[in-house]
Amino acid sequence: DILQWPQISKCRSPEMETFSCFWTAGNFYNLTVPRILQLLYKKSNEEDWKECPDYITSGQNSCYFNASYTSVWTPYCVQLASKNEVYDKKCFSVDEIVLPDPPVHLNWTLLNTSQTGIHGDIQVRWDPPPTADVRKGWITLEYELQYKEVNETKWKELKPRLSTMVPLYSLKTARDYEIRIRSRQRTSEKFGEFSEILYVSFSQIGIGCDHCTEEVEFPWFLVVVFGVCGLAVTVISIMLSKQPRLKMLIFPPVPVPKIKGIDPDLLKKGKLDEVNSILACHDNYKTQLYSDDLWVEFIELDIEDPEEKNRASDTDRLLSEDHLKSHSCLGTKDDDSGRASCCEPDIPETDFSASDTCDATSDGDQFKKATEKEDLLCLERQDNGESLPNLASTDLQHQHRNTQSENSNVWAPFEDSTESPCLSVHTQISNQNSLTSTDFYAQVSDITPAGRVVLSPGQKSKLGRAQREGCTEQNFTMDNTYFCEADVKKCIAVTSHEENEPHVQEEGYNEDGYFTTESLTTTVANLGASAAAPPSSEMPVADYTSIHIVQSPQGLVLNATALPVPDKEFNVSCGYVSTDQLNKIMP
Amino acid sequence: GLLLVALLVSHMLLTKEGVTSLPICPNGSVNCQLSLEELFDRAVKLSHYIHFLSSEMFNEFDERYAQGRGFIAKAVNSCHTASLTTPEDKEQAQQIHHEDLLNLILGVLRSWNDPLIHLASEVQRIKEAPETILWKAVEIEEQNKRLLEGMEKIVGRVHSGEVENDIYTPWDGLPSLQLADEDSRLFAFYNLLHCLRRDSHKIDNYLKVLKCRLIHDNNC
Repeated sequence: DILQWPQISKCRSPEMETFSCFWTAGNFYNLTVPRILQLLYKKSNEEDWKECPDYITSGQNSCYFNASYTSVWTPYCVQLASKNEVYDKKCFSVDEIVLPDPPVHLNWTLLNTSQTGIHGDIQVRWDPPPTADVRKGWITLEYELQYKEVNETKWKELKPRLSTMVPLYSLKTARDYEIRIRSRQRTSEKFGEFSEILYVSFSQIGIGCDHCTEEVEFPWFLVVVFGVCGLAVTVISIMLSKQPRLKMLIFPPVPVPKIKGIDPDLLKKGKLDEVNSILACHDNYKTQLYSDDLWVEFIELDIEDPEEKNRASDTDRLLSEDHLKSHSCLGTKDDDSGRASCCEPDIPETDFSASDTCDATSDGDQFKKATEKEDLLCLERQDNGESLPNLASTDLQHQHRNTQSENSNVWAPFEDSTESPCLSVHTQISNQNSLTSTDFYAQVSDITPAGRVVLSPGQKSKLGRAQREGCTEQNFTMDNTYFCEADVKKCIAVTSHEENEPHVQEEGYNEDGYFTTESLTTTVANLGASAAAPPSSEMPVADYTSIHIVQSPQGLVLNATALPVPDKEFNVSCGYVSTDQLNKIMP
Repeated sequence: GLLLVALLVSHMLLTKEGVTSLPICPNGSVNCQLSLEELFDRAVKLSHYIHFLSSEMFNEFDERYAQGRGFIAKAVNSCHTASLTTPEDKEQAQQIHHEDLLNLILGVLRSWNDPLIHLASEVQRIKEAPETILWKAVEIEEQNKRLLEGMEKIVGRVHSGEVENDIYTPWDGLPSLQLADEDSRLFAFYNLLHCLRRDSHKIDNYLKVLKCRLIHDNNC
């Protein structure tokens, strides 16, 4: 057995007029030795310990202090001791240990019953504990009532209140109830003991509804379940309904950022190059242009160069004498998903009218940039477009891109033909020799069917070859908005010799017969104007300069003639420039 | 609109009893007085509220600062108001004359004016004092002032002769609240809060006794 010392278990005052202390004797002492436990007490303003005045009234192991010994707000100390030993000690003041007796005389009366007789309201009354002098206001009590059905286990509680009566509403008449009450001093925390239990039975007063059916509780659960199901069915039916209007009304489509022609995945992947190329293609894109057959229509170069695909190095391709095979936009017809979207047939916007304006503006940008940068705009733009898909790692491409980072946005006119933007934009290269030392400028000689840009400084041979084809017979319809590149080539080939250009046209053009738009431009211009302005490298840079020569590998020689900036009248529609327009800008 | 306002105002002036909140005395009216019952009701409400706050504040302080420090064991619990001979049990409370009891109440309240002001300011210097303790200290100080005013009104009504003002105990515990040693300082606070709880309980009880005696004729 565990050794237990004598302990003062509690001290309690039921009415703030007397108090009692209780203790446990423990199993310490020998059974043979008589118990000699004493309770001594001392008020705070006293010196001596006094013995308990009454060991009997409160029962065994207790000490009762009657009113004459009790001072309410005076601190007391009590201690449990035997002759020489103090076992326990407690200090308190009486106002702190008030625990009232339970209320008495509980009773209930019926207030009313419901119409169906299933429920009833009752009023419960009681009296305060007799020991507490509530009447004179010496102690103020509050009461807490608890009730439950007879066969339940958990008591329901009401809030503590000061009054000695409380109504209970909506009790079931078919059931019996139990009620109990306890009290505490106001502003205390602890309650006294519970009163005796009060039994409430409606049948005793004759209104019990034994035959009443069990009231159906409101089927909340069923309501919720059916409500949710109904809602789900409604939602699904709306979603599946063919009525777009209804669907729009209830489920408005979430706008997703989408640029026509651009696959959102491309944006996610962050391949800006492809995006740029697509953007450039975007407005002018016509699906049919991307088929190889169309290419064949426009460019009658038998420059099918399958071996280009086998070229390992893009740089070689750039610098090689490959010719421009395909449109810059065709270059985007790569395996890359992003650019492919540009070529997707499901792009709705294929009307040129819309794209014209875009072209115009983009052309304007190009023109401005051309003047600013003195770049071989055509070439570089082509480079960007065509080199982007596959030359991501080439230095040349980087250089190109570095030098014209902005031009990648201005791809619009390039879509349809390589020559259109170049025709429209004539960049001036101040010094053709400057091109020899750098790789910044290179003529895009070709675009392989695979979509690879082939830069070729040495296109002269091609041009030359192309030129050798006669085109004098061809009627160049100047007023035609579109002209056949092949025709131009032929004409160029024919007329190139006539031009007083010391450069490149006699020089080696690429065998493939590609020619830059610059050369085409010059050719066309020459055709239209029938006058070739002498190249002058000292002319001020104009927005448009005809590209005089493509000198490979040195680059282009621009016709330095100052040209008026054509603005919007320069209607470059889908990459084609009418010769009339050319005439306007060309001398 | 104007008619409505006029009706409303006249109604307010004419039917003061209808107002469930505190009755309104128009300014300048000589005969308008709160009844003694009303005054006592308010006083009891205030005293109960002050005791409630003091009790809670003491419990919070005890929980937070006094645990493990053995304050209870050391507490001698000598409050500065101990010199005032207040009734210590029901018999004494019933035997004392109500005027004397009122004066005693006033004396206790006045004696606590000063300590409460300092308590409100010094408790803020306790390290990491909880917000609840801080605002309770301030609230108690305010309510004590209001109770004092109310009691003076009651005394003015009840007292036939002169109002005695000399019941008062000065408080000199401020230095103990500002001790450098944290333990001693906290013990001083503990003591003060303990005394506050006790005295507020006393006053609450006395007022209830007086109310039952004077208003309800010992039949609350």
